[in-house]
Amino acid sequence: MRFHQGTVLLVAVLGLARSVGAAEPVTIEYWHINSPTFGGPAAKELVQLFEAKHPNIKVVEKFQPGVYTGLMQQLQVSLAAKRPPAVAQIGYNLTAYAAGQFPHVLLDKYRKSDPAFFKGIPDNIMALGVLGGTLHGIPFGVSTPVMYYNADLFKAAGLNADQPPQTWDELQRQGAIIKQKTGKLAVYLQQPNDEWIDQTLIWGNGGRPLSEDGKRIGWDAPEAMEAMQMWQDMVNKSKIGANLTWEEGLQAFLSGHVAMCLTTIGRQEHMRRNATGFQVRAVPVPRFGSKPLATATGGNVLMIFASDPAQEKAAWEWIKFVLSPEGATIWTKGTGYLPPRAELANDPRYLKPFFDEAPLMKAALQTFPYAKPWVSFPGPRGLEITKILIKARDEVLEGKRPAELILKEAAQQANALLPK
Amino acid sequence: MMEATALGAATARSRTRASRRWRGAAVGHLYLTPAIVLTGLFVYWPLVASTVLSFYDWNLVSPTWAAVGWQNYRELIASRAFWMSLVNTGKAAAALTVLTVGVPLLLALAVQRVGPRWRDLYRVVLFSPTVISMAIACAVWLWIFHPLYGVLNTTLRLVGLQGPAWLSSSDSAIWAIILVTVWKTFGFNFVLYIAGLLTIPREMYEAARVDGASERQLVWHVTLPLLAPTTLFVFLSTFILSPQNLFIPTQILTQGGPNEASNNVGYLVYQLGFEYFRVGYASAAATLIFLVFLVLTALQFYLAERRIHYGR
Repeated sequence: MRFHQGTVLLVAVLGLARSVGAAEPVTIEYWHINSPTFGGPAAKELVQLFEAKHPNIKVVEKFQPGVYTGLMQQLQVSLAAKRPPAVAQIGYNLTAYAAGQFPHVLLDKYRKSDPAFFKGIPDNIMALGVLGGTLHGIPFGVSTPVMYYNADLFKAAGLNADQPPQTWDELQRQGAIIKQKTGKLAVYLQQPNDEWIDQTLIWGNGGRPLSEDGKRIGWDAPEAMEAMQMWQDMVNKSKIGANLTWEEGLQAFLSGHVAMCLTTIGRQEHMRRNATGFQVRAVPVPRFGSKPLATATGGNVLMIFASDPAQEKAAWEWIKFVLSPEGATIWTKGTGYLPPRAELANDPRYLKPFFDEAPLMKAALQTFPYAKPWVSFPGPRGLEITKILIKARDEVLEGKRPAELILKEAAQQANALLPK
Repeated sequence: MMEATALGAATARSRTRASRRWRGAAVGHLYLTPAIVLTGLFVYWPLVASTVLSFYDWNLVSPTWAAVGWQNYRELIASRAFWMSLVNTGKAAAALTVLTVGVPLLLALAVQRVGPRWRDLYRVVLFSPTVISMAIACAVWLWIFHPLYGVLNTTLRLVGLQGPAWLSSSDSAIWAIILVTVWKTFGFNFVLYIAGLLTIPREMYEAARVDGASERQLVWHVTLPLLAPTTLFVFLSTFILSPQNLFIPTQILTQGGPNEASNNVGYLVYQLGFEYFRVGYASAAATLIFLVFLVLTALQFYLAERRIHYGR
């Protein structure tokens, strides 16, 4: 009998120890691209606030250099080692690759269990995390391209700085005047190692980067070829456009050598602080004639890679927090990304004071309703397709061959790599 | 009996010598073991694994490797990127050989002729770029190359020339990368030559002068032959390391663009493996490139060894 009592006691103690163990904090890793000068402090602040509200969850935030591509490289290696982070930011341009190639948690189940969370995120934004009808990631960072311009150069050219170009035709007309009167280049469209602005031109001219069934690249459609030819002509024919690397282009604009610069709203703080000797303003990117505004959306989704249920649960709590009004406010202030919950911009408790003091952000808010996906290409060769299109853009801007020929060849190569 | 004893003693002595030799060799092997194990683990094993991997399709994550036979090699041979990278690497290797093997030699010879104070100053000035981090150097060169207001094009404009968009033009991008690499590696080779020149015995020059040799003849018949081992080392290390030295400027300045114009074999392997995540395909590229460099290096060794004087 004494033995049995001892056994029961032992079992009880072990059981207690186990339950105490269950109450121990769950630690999750969160991988992001937020460098110390681009949202890093905001990421740390979010972690502190979250841990204060969720004492049982510890978040280890890890900055990954090399922006989204760099993060993907590290993620791929961590998955190979079976030690992935619980949550990671995946750039929209890489979402299809990650969703197709990496083991991750599908998030549709949370639509049912947490419907309140999804309220307030517009459909066109939530669609950025949907592929093939399935929700793979929650849109987190949302950025739109805008056109920054040097108001002083406009004035120096005798143009009205309050009426910058709204269409590409107007831009080319005013650009020619700027070049003639000031000797400066008129426009630079960003050229980093991605095709975000190319997709913006294609969407804007009424094309599609990828057919709806995902079987054909849209770069050889008439709308795309016309838009890219226009870019080539601005650089090589009228010579009002600059063909520069991204760093060179940004610096050329900030030092007053180029009048207009099309790049992300995520740079607004950088532009505001570093524009030397002129007033920088921002407006939505130009439209193609009477066609409606349409821009590719930059930024990232949050995807869950945790395989352990406790980690997954903690990861979902983290995602809910960073997208809550409180979390999104910190995030937007720290990065310049738009909040997926657009109504926060008009809410005096959250982002209204910030938007009131950041006039450049208005251009992004005006663009927000017209945001289209930054299409990422499906299949295991999707990343190569992106590179083919970047190389085609390089060649188009060199102006040695017409855009049509280059884009047809590129589309042919890219189509061969799409899943059949 | 005496003979037998003497024979026995000789055999014993021989055994002791053999045993001492064996023990000495064993200690030598023992000391070498860590280096051999580490080299095997981190050089030869990856080489073998990479060669094996080149016959598979794998993305680092997939639990299975799909065997594809020679497909990766066939695709590579048909790929424009591979040939562009190979040609660019060849251009870079040739340019680096001329500019960082030939020119530092001339400068080292020149520095030997100036007074010691000037000599020290020149050494510091020419060696300084070597100690600057390549990443920082590239950031500086980014602004030097700026087509609108960079120092390079501004200077060219002063003499009536229109400089290209160095990093955005397919005609100039590879030369911009080569220029940065030369600037960075030049000083190291220069110092190697200086060290090599100091090892040449003064008596050689004195003897030649006594025999009536002119200054030019001294350089041609004494300095250059006795400096040949250094020259061979500089030449081989420059050639073999050229893809590695090109990597950082390529990554920071052009990412191989525009349209592959500044790509090189080292960066291509990185792109295939870590941008496209086609590890088997990248391994095939690495294996082919390894073979190309192996043959070229062996050829250089063979040709150079026949003309080198090691002072033996």
